[in-house]
Amino acid sequence: MRAITLQDYKRRILQVLAHIQDHLDDPLPLGELAALAGFSRYHFHRIFKGMVGESVKEYVRRLRLERAASQLKLGSASVIEIALNAGYKSHEAFTRSFKSCFGAAPSHFRSIRRAQFASVFSGIHYRPGETVQHFRIRHRGGSMNVKIQQLKPMRVAFLRHVGPYGEVGATWDRLLTIMGKDGYLGGGTMLLGICHDDPEVTPPSTIRYDACVTVGDDFVPSGDIQVQMVAGGEYAMTRHTGPYNTLGRTYVQLLGQWMPRSGRELRDVSCFEVYLNDPQSTAPEDLLTDIYAPLQSQGNFQGGDEVIGA
Amino acid sequence: MKTSETVDLYREYRKEYATSRNPVLVKVGPATYLSISGQGAPGSNAFTEAIGALYGVAFTVKMTRKFAGKGDYVVSKLEGLWPDFSSSGDKNQWSWQLLIRTPKFVTNKEVTHAVAVLLKRGKSAEVRRVRLESLEEGLCVQALHVGPYENESTAIAAMKSFAEGKGLKLQGVHHEIYLSDPRRVAPAKLKTILRHPVERVVA
Repeated sequence: MRAITLQDYKRRILQVLAHIQDHLDDPLPLGELAALAGFSRYHFHRIFKGMVGESVKEYVRRLRLERAASQLKLGSASVIEIALNAGYKSHEAFTRSFKSCFGAAPSHFRSIRRAQFASVFSGIHYRPGETVQHFRIRHRGGSMNVKIQQLKPMRVAFLRHVGPYGEVGATWDRLLTIMGKDGYLGGGTMLLGICHDDPEVTPPSTIRYDACVTVGDDFVPSGDIQVQMVAGGEYAMTRHTGPYNTLGRTYVQLLGQWMPRSGRELRDVSCFEVYLNDPQSTAPEDLLTDIYAPLQSQGNFQGGDEVIGA
Repeated sequence: MKTSETVDLYREYRKEYATSRNPVLVKVGPATYLSISGQGAPGSNAFTEAIGALYGVAFTVKMTRKFAGKGDYVVSKLEGLWPDFSSSGDKNQWSWQLLIRTPKFVTNKEVTHAVAVLLKRGKSAEVRRVRLESLEEGLCVQALHVGPYENESTAIAAMKSFAEGKGLKLQGVHHEIYLSDPRRVAPAKLKTILRHPVERVVA
């Protein structure tokens, strides 16, 4: 099997960028964009953000505004028409977004006729009738400390949290209290979090997160504490040091900056994280979290199964 | 996660956990610990298994109380007593006593119950050796050591001469409070509070 290269990743992202340019008036759902480039829907948004420097949502929004700016400058359509065209429901909302992007209100912008786009890292801007040929990618992340690990499947007891990430604490509290009083937190138990959704693309009220405790075969699911298997196989692992609310940045660096240069491809299952210390007795800046990103097999792994957390 | 009612002994007895690189005198009042004793080099199987057993009991007791609505407390940092610390004997033969400071309201009965629950789950039989113990160290000289455990001698020498300057001498057992987890923190960055009880030198 030929190793996947950075050029492959770039070519596939470029396809997405070209498609977005040509379909600015379409809803552009993430699943469709991911499929177009052959990326797993679990990881696509982070790969995109890491490589382009903006999330898909931010990118689409900016291109629509840039198109609006060029229409203001060159055309004679009314501001409200252009606003609707850019996907805004009201003049006010459009004006607010436009101002934050170009530093001037649409009408003022039109009168001075100066279509100055703020510079973005990727170097891509809206240009009528042109197809994106190349873009600049970020160069950090190549030197990130990442280990490839071969894991055995893990059986976990879990409680599902649906809602904002900031509120997973209450779910953990309940899971640990129940598991703890039944003696499941003794030596060698690991605490895992499985994030099924990304807070950047999923509305906070519908984000799904599983708080998990590793268990043996003797654990019987009861009430809303269920059991699932965390897939084994190869994973890319990196350690995040610091508060939980900055984990997103490390994910993007791993998936969108390290991964494209790794020669590897992500597998179509969720990432998970392992919490290494007790947030009750640890200062936020000292919290350690291992992030595991699932890799497609290369079929030539030499090592044995590793036990993580040891 | 931490509510205002959560008991945190490390905060409550902040003065006893002074973290100054220069030696200071602290007065340590009576304290209760979950404890397990053993023998062998730090990092040996026996040592690692003892730590697992101690934490297992600590979390089981805590969560059983919490589940019963008896309130929450923070499981404190690991500590160790090293009676052979200043001996010239083989490190592999050193005896140790590992401790986790625990609120005074925790009873022997709760510990026995937690041990039974853990054994039922097939956890290591080492949990049987976990006990509740009280300790009152009184006046101690204390300093923060940053770096590998093997390099503690400089800090110890400073603590000793500091004590002597005050007309005191080290007596009793060398005590370490582990602020960092040696499995996860680089040796050069390990933070450890070193504590040693002192007594007046009688002229």
